[in-house]
Amino acid sequence: MRLTALLSMAAKAAFPRDYRYGTSRPWTFAAKRRNPPGLHRRKVFVDDIPNENWSVFKGDTVEILAGKDKGKQGKVIQVFRHRNWVILEGLNAHYRFIGKTNDYRGTYIASEAPLLLTQISLIDPTDRKPTEVGWRFTEEGERVRVSTRTGRIIPKPPVQRSDGVVREQWKDGPKDTPTEDALLKTYTPSLKTLEEEVMDAMGIKEDRRNHTSYWY
Amino acid sequence: MGLLSTLTRGLIRGADRMSAFTSKRGPRSNYKGRGARPAGRLTCSGKFVPVREMIPEFVVPSLQGFNLKPYVSYRAPEGTEPTLTTEMLFNETVAPHIKRDFEEGTFDKNNLEKYGLDPEQKGKLFKLHPKNFVR
Repeated sequence: MRLTALLSMAAKAAFPRDYRYGTSRPWTFAAKRRNPPGLHRRKVFVDDIPNENWSVFKGDTVEILAGKDKGKQGKVIQVFRHRNWVILEGLNAHYRFIGKTNDYRGTYIASEAPLLLTQISLIDPTDRKPTEVGWRFTEEGERVRVSTRTGRIIPKPPVQRSDGVVREQWKDGPKDTPTEDALLKTYTPSLKTLEEEVMDAMGIKEDRRNHTSYWY
Repeated sequence: MGLLSTLTRGLIRGADRMSAFTSKRGPRSNYKGRGARPAGRLTCSGKFVPVREMIPEFVVPSLQGFNLKPYVSYRAPEGTEPTLTTEMLFNETVAPHIKRDFEEGTFDKNNLEKYGLDPEQKGKLFKLHPKNFVR
């Protein structure tokens, strides 16, 4: 069959239609163990929320409305769009031992369980209470989240890099090009290729030419 | 046995058939290279004669006053230069000369070599089409 059809088939069949997404990334061993090929589990129904209406982002502070840690506020660490899940730091957690061997009992860590969006509510910065949130446009035309109760804009949390680098506090190392040198414009447009320009600059003359060759 | 463990066992059992069979796998008799190109010619007597032109040589111009380093500082903002297109290159290199000649009245459409344009790629060392250099 056509090559494009074959390639798109391979890309689409990466996950079956009824694949149950969990908290582990799908390519890890744990996820492959839970969802081996040929597994058919009962379908999990997920509210379809379009991308424009999605209000909770990584780094937001939210309050839990239901469950073990009801009433507590926490920071969002991870968001799972395919299951409408949110994981908060240290909240709604059960405790377990990881890395245990035959003689060592392992490290006791808190493993957070995901919370659905319906069990979560964003917090109004003015009175730090849970509110409903809608999307509105500012005077400048920027689309922002607005608390329906007070009308206060809830700013989006700043995106933090996973390697922990903060741009303003970065100190250049010995192999880093300084900012002024990186932004300096030294290119003069010319019709010569790079190789021809280097040959002119170094005074290399090449009069030999290759024999004509043919390939089929 | 449960369904899940039966299906999982299929993952664990068996060799990996899909990865490439390179020279690092197989028995001692499996001798194959990794795609290095020859640097000379094998003569009929069995002797290998290296050919200077087939051995790669790095041609590096003088790096005096060259301040660029391997990495760029995280503090540098994104550049504002637009990506160079063929139209921009033409407008900056050739178009002013053509315009000046046209206004003087000396523009000759059969003599475009004086602006740097090549009529054919036949005698050139670095041909643009078909591209005969590695970049």
